[in-house]
Amino acid sequence: MKHISQTKADILILGSGGAGLLAALHAYDTDPSLNIILAVKGLAGKSGCTRMVQGGYNVVLDPEDSHEKHFRDTIKGGGFINNQELAWTLVTDATKVIHELENKVGCFFDRRPDGQVHQKAFAGQCFDRTVHRGDLTGIEIIARLRDQVFARKVRILEECRAIDLLVRDGRVGGVLLLDIRSGEPFIVRSKAVILATGGGAGMYKISAPSKEKSGDGAAMAFRAGALFVDMEMMQFHPTGLLAGNSQLTGSVLEEGLRGAGGRLFNALGERFMERYDPERMERSTRDQVARASYREIMAGRGTVNGGVLIDVSHLGAEFVERAFPGMVDRVKDIGKDLAREPIEVSPTGHFHMGGVSIDRDCRSNLEGLFVAGEDSGGVHGSNRLGGNGVAESTVFGARAGDAAAAYVSEVPFPLFDEDQAWDIWEETQRPFTFSQGEDAYALNQELKNLTWEKIGVVRTKEDLEQALGQLDEMEERAQQIKVSGSPCFNLEWNEALNVRNLIAVARMIARSALMRKESRGSHFRLDFPQTDNAQWLKNIFLKRQGAKEIDLYTAEVNFSRLRPEEIV
Amino acid sequence: MGSFLNVTLFRYLPGTDHSPRYETFEVPESKQMAILDVLTYIQKHLDRSLTFRYSCRIGMCGSCALFINGRSRLACRTLVDGLGTKDIHIRPLPNLPVIKDLTVDLTPFFDKYEKIKPYFIAKEDREDFYRVPEGAKERILVDKMLECITCGACFSSCTMVTTNPFYLGPAALNRAFCLIADKRDGAGAKRLRLVNGPEGVWRCHGQFNCMEVCPKKIIPTWSIQQLKKRCVFKKWMGIG
Repeated sequence: MKHISQTKADILILGSGGAGLLAALHAYDTDPSLNIILAVKGLAGKSGCTRMVQGGYNVVLDPEDSHEKHFRDTIKGGGFINNQELAWTLVTDATKVIHELENKVGCFFDRRPDGQVHQKAFAGQCFDRTVHRGDLTGIEIIARLRDQVFARKVRILEECRAIDLLVRDGRVGGVLLLDIRSGEPFIVRSKAVILATGGGAGMYKISAPSKEKSGDGAAMAFRAGALFVDMEMMQFHPTGLLAGNSQLTGSVLEEGLRGAGGRLFNALGERFMERYDPERMERSTRDQVARASYREIMAGRGTVNGGVLIDVSHLGAEFVERAFPGMVDRVKDIGKDLAREPIEVSPTGHFHMGGVSIDRDCRSNLEGLFVAGEDSGGVHGSNRLGGNGVAESTVFGARAGDAAAAYVSEVPFPLFDEDQAWDIWEETQRPFTFSQGEDAYALNQELKNLTWEKIGVVRTKEDLEQALGQLDEMEERAQQIKVSGSPCFNLEWNEALNVRNLIAVARMIARSALMRKESRGSHFRLDFPQTDNAQWLKNIFLKRQGAKEIDLYTAEVNFSRLRPEEIV
Repeated sequence: MGSFLNVTLFRYLPGTDHSPRYETFEVPESKQMAILDVLTYIQKHLDRSLTFRYSCRIGMCGSCALFINGRSRLACRTLVDGLGTKDIHIRPLPNLPVIKDLTVDLTPFFDKYEKIKPYFIAKEDREDFYRVPEGAKERILVDKMLECITCGACFSSCTMVTTNPFYLGPAALNRAFCLIADKRDGAGAKRLRLVNGPEGVWRCHGQFNCMEVCPKKIIPTWSIQQLKKRCVFKKWMGIG
C-alpha cells in the first residue's frame, strides 16, 4: 500500500533553536488563527545549539556604541564578503530583539552595579557589547522562548525529523518526516516551510555542536534545489576542550575567557599569538586564533594530546570562579581546575557561515521556503564574531516568522507529488532491507577524520581533490548502509540518515573551498595563503545540477553600505 | 586502566516486548569516562538496538537524565569514577512512562509545568530595560533558581509525585516561584492561586530529594517554602 499519513499546516517550522522558536512566536503573534506546526528532531527547546550558547549576544545598547560600529566589526570580522544588507539587518534588529527577549519573552540578563544591562568584552569587537547571563546564556534564552511557545497554540512534534522537502515545479509544498519514536513516516503539507535545523559542523572529528545537528537543513535544501552561498566558510572555535574519548571533547570553552585576558601557550610555553597577531594577541578573531593554534599543533609545538593551552589563572582564581562558573564546572569533569591551571584545548568545528542564500526576510530561491539561522548563509561572511550567532538566529528567526505569516495569507495550498514522497520513503527505509552492508558508525567516523584532515582548518588543492574523490565514494557507500532491529526509536538508522546528510554538506564545502583560490576568514588555503582582494572580493554560489552534480559560480560582493577600503 | 565495568541496563519496548528485562554489558573503562560515554560505547559496539537520549552532552539541555545507581542524574555529567564502583545499574527516570529502553515520555512532567503558566507575562509594555542593580536583594533567590534545564530529575525523585498523580512537582513550583518573585511579571497573584492548594505547594513535605538530585544545584524545596510563606501571608492579609 502506497500510503503515507498526511496532515496540513499553514506554516511548518523545522527546528526548535532560537530561530525556530522565534519564528513560531512571531508567526503566531502576527496571526493567531494560523495553523503552525513545529517539528523537532530532539526534544523541544532541548536540541540545537542556541541552548548551548555560553558567551552571549552582541547588541548595541550603549549610547557610545552604534549600529555603524557593530556593522563595521561584523564586516571586518567577516573578511568583507558578508551580504551587507543581511549584516545591517542583524545589527539593527538585534537591538529590537534583545528588548523583546527581556521585556516580552521574560529573559533576565546580567546587570551592572548601576542597574543597566551588563555588556562584556568579546573578541574582534571595538566595543564591549555582549549581553549575557553568566557564562551559560543560552539556557535562559531558549528556556524562556520555549515557555512562550507553550503559551500559544503551536503544535509541537518532538523527535520527528525531516527527511526531505517535497517540491513540485520549484514550489515547496510540504515535508516528509520520520516519527523517530514509532519509525513511521508522515507528511506535513504546508504553504510555507521555515528551515531552522542548524548546521553541520558536527562532521568534524573535533566539534562542538549538539548531537542532532547533522546538516539536515542544508542537505535537504540542496536536494530540493536551493541556492547556497560561501559554503567553504566553516568556523573553528579556537578553544574546544580536549577530553580524550569522552563526548566532552570538542565542547567549547567560551570566548569570554580570551575576552577577559586569557592567554594561549604552546607546549614550549611560548605565547604563540605573538607570531600571528601581535596587536590583538588572544583577542584576535576566532579564525586567526584557531588557525594559529592549529599551525602550532601541526608544527609539533602542541601538547601530547594534540592541543595548546589556555591559561586564565593569572586573572585570579576567585574572579574566574565568579565570572565563569559554568566553564569551571565543566573543566572539573576532566579532573582539571580552570581557575588555577592551564587547560588543553584544540580548534573545534563550530559554526557554518555558509548556507542557503536568503534575502532580508529569509526567503530562498525556492517558492515557499524560508531559511533562518545557521541553515542560511551570508550574514557573517567568511568568519562569524562570537556573540553574533544567537543574535542571528533570533533576529532572522523572528523575521522568518513575520514574513511567512504574511506570505501564507496570500497563497493557496500548493500541490505536491505523493509519488515523490513515496520514493523518498522507500529510499529512507532501504537500510533495513540489506542483510549485509556498510556500518553507519564506521562511515561517520571515516567522514569525521576525512573532513578534519582535508577540508578543515588548513586546506590545499590536493587535499580537497582527494576529499572530493573520497566523498563521492562515501556517498555511494552511504547507500549501502545496513541497519537492523525495530524501526522504533532506532539510533543506528538515524545515524545512517545523518551520515548521508553530512556527506552532502561536506561535498558542498569541498567544492566551494576548491574554487576559492585565496585565504580569507575561516577558509585557509596553504597553497594560496594570502587574502586576494583584487580577485576574490566575491561570493561563491552553488546549487545542485542533475542528480548530484554541483554547479558553482562567483559574483562580486555588493558593497551596498561600506567598501573595504573604508574600513581600517 | 584495562579494567571493565559491569553495566546493567533496563530494556523495554512497550507494545512489542512482553515485559521489561535487564541486560548486563561488559564495558572497558577509559579515562574521565562519563555515563554518556559508557552508553555510547554499548550502543556502538555491543548492542545497536539500545535506545537512550542525549543532545548537548555538556549539561545544558537536560535530555539525558537517568536513574543511575539509585539516583537520578545527567548521564553526561556523571563520571564513572565518582560512582565508586564498577557495577553500574541504569534505569529510565522513575515517575514517567517508558518509550523505549532508557527513554521516557516527559509529557506528564511538562503538562504540570504548563499548569502554572510558566511563561512570563509582562506587567507593562516597556521600551527600555528594568533597572535592577547587580546583586539586588530581590534577585538573589530568583537568580539561583533560574537555571532549571527541565531534565525531570527532581520530578522523578519526589515521593510526593509518586504517590499523588496530581501534584505539580518541584520543577513546576520552582518555575512558579521564579515568576512570582520577578517584579517584571504581572501574573503573580494568578499563579499564587494556582499553586496554593493540596496539589500545589502544600503537597511538598520538605524531603529535599529534589535538591539532592538537581544537576544545576537548584533547591526547589526552598522555592516552595517561599511560595508557602506568600500564600500564608495573603491569607493573613485577607486577600488570598
